[in-house]
Amino acid sequence: MRAQATGGGAAMTAILTEETRTETFRRDVADGGVIETSDWMPEEYRRRLIKFIEMHANSEIMGALPEGDWIGRAPSLKRKLALSAKIQDEVGHAQMLYRLVEDLGKPRPQIFADLTSGKSKFHNVFHYPTRSWADVGIIGWLVDGAAIISQSALLRSSYGPYTRVMKRICWEEAFHLKQGEDVCLTLAGGSALQREMLQDALTRWWEPLMMFHGPPTPPEQDGDLAWRIKTKPNDALRQEFLDRYVPQIWELGLTIPDPALKKDVQTGRWRYTEPDWSRLIAVVTGSGPASAQRLGFRRLTYEEGAWLRAVTMNA
Amino acid sequence: MGAFVVFRQEEPGGAFVHCGSVDAPDMELACQYARDIFSRREDAQRLWVAPQEAIREVADGDLLRPALDRTYRLGRGYRVTVEKRRRIKARIAARAEAEQGEAV
Ligand SMILES: [Fe+2]
Ligand SMILES: [Fe+2]
Repeated sequence: MRAQATGGGAAMTAILTEETRTETFRRDVADGGVIETSDWMPEEYRRRLIKFIEMHANSEIMGALPEGDWIGRAPSLKRKLALSAKIQDEVGHAQMLYRLVEDLGKPRPQIFADLTSGKSKFHNVFHYPTRSWADVGIIGWLVDGAAIISQSALLRSSYGPYTRVMKRICWEEAFHLKQGEDVCLTLAGGSALQREMLQDALTRWWEPLMMFHGPPTPPEQDGDLAWRIKTKPNDALRQEFLDRYVPQIWELGLTIPDPALKKDVQTGRWRYTEPDWSRLIAVVTGSGPASAQRLGFRRLTYEEGAWLRAVTMNA
Repeated sequence: MGAFVVFRQEEPGGAFVHCGSVDAPDMELACQYARDIFSRREDAQRLWVAPQEAIREVADGDLLRPALDRTYRLGRGYRVTVEKRRRIKARIAARAEAEQGEAV
């Protein structure tokens, strides 16, 4: 209201008020405060929330595609049911998350236009092809395993509606992990050919997995951390991932394609060959091995579904 | 007069849980009554108030709880992984032992 008053003094007061408000907000959020959709929030916070949750949602819906290729080729009815159920969950996750983005002010047509034009992003791991049934196992076990680590950290995010949706998502992810692990264990306990197939999939997926949590951004330079949209730095998430999964992978007699991978007994931290981060940027900006195909498919299904949206949304 | 349903959030960020309803002539008074009835002890963070006719119940058992085995959708449907992992470890250990035996 004060901004409407005339004179430079009043305008200055308005600016200061906005700054003070932002500062109070920042402190509140840093102290563990939780924000709801109807609360006042600084524009930067809203913009970052939209971008972060939108990328998460995009990843859920794009993540349905690599596995979708294998529904028709699943080796048994039970596997087919489980894989269909997992994919149904992922699309459901996207639906829940897109609703959050809409409530924050970005309309769905805009979200989809940005996704299909390549303007907005989705996770690196969904830019790769799935070459064998073992890929389905590795994705369920390790890609979802990596995702569970970042998603569990989001349970303490500063945005209340996000944490509530994340509770539901994490609960469903536990099943994704188990069905993937079961596929991997079946292959690991199977014939030489099956074990080879599993090893080949692990070898191809290791680099994307190491890149999954993002480059080691110093926490003080990570705006999403400062606003507590996310709660743990990229590198901490990667360490957690390695801690939980490397011993389990080794236990199965598999080889991880990084000779430098080793836990430092003194620091308790994993050492590994630093991934080529420029490749991560190339992959997520549309130059991944399956980026064009996946986006092309998403564009096609979006166009093909236009008549249905017209019928149901304008009813 | 009409019924308004009230949902209550007890912890910051927590879920809004249905706690009852109020009878009120309009939304404004419904919110006032909801506050009077459901948050007298500073034990609610927020309330959501909605006209009762806006709520639809879905309770179709055939859809929500179909009589099919759906354990393949649950983590607990995969307890078999424990035994599979044990067998793989045993096989690897046996192979290592055999190799050691040959070396001796
Ligand atoms: Fe998901
Ligand atoms: Fe998942």
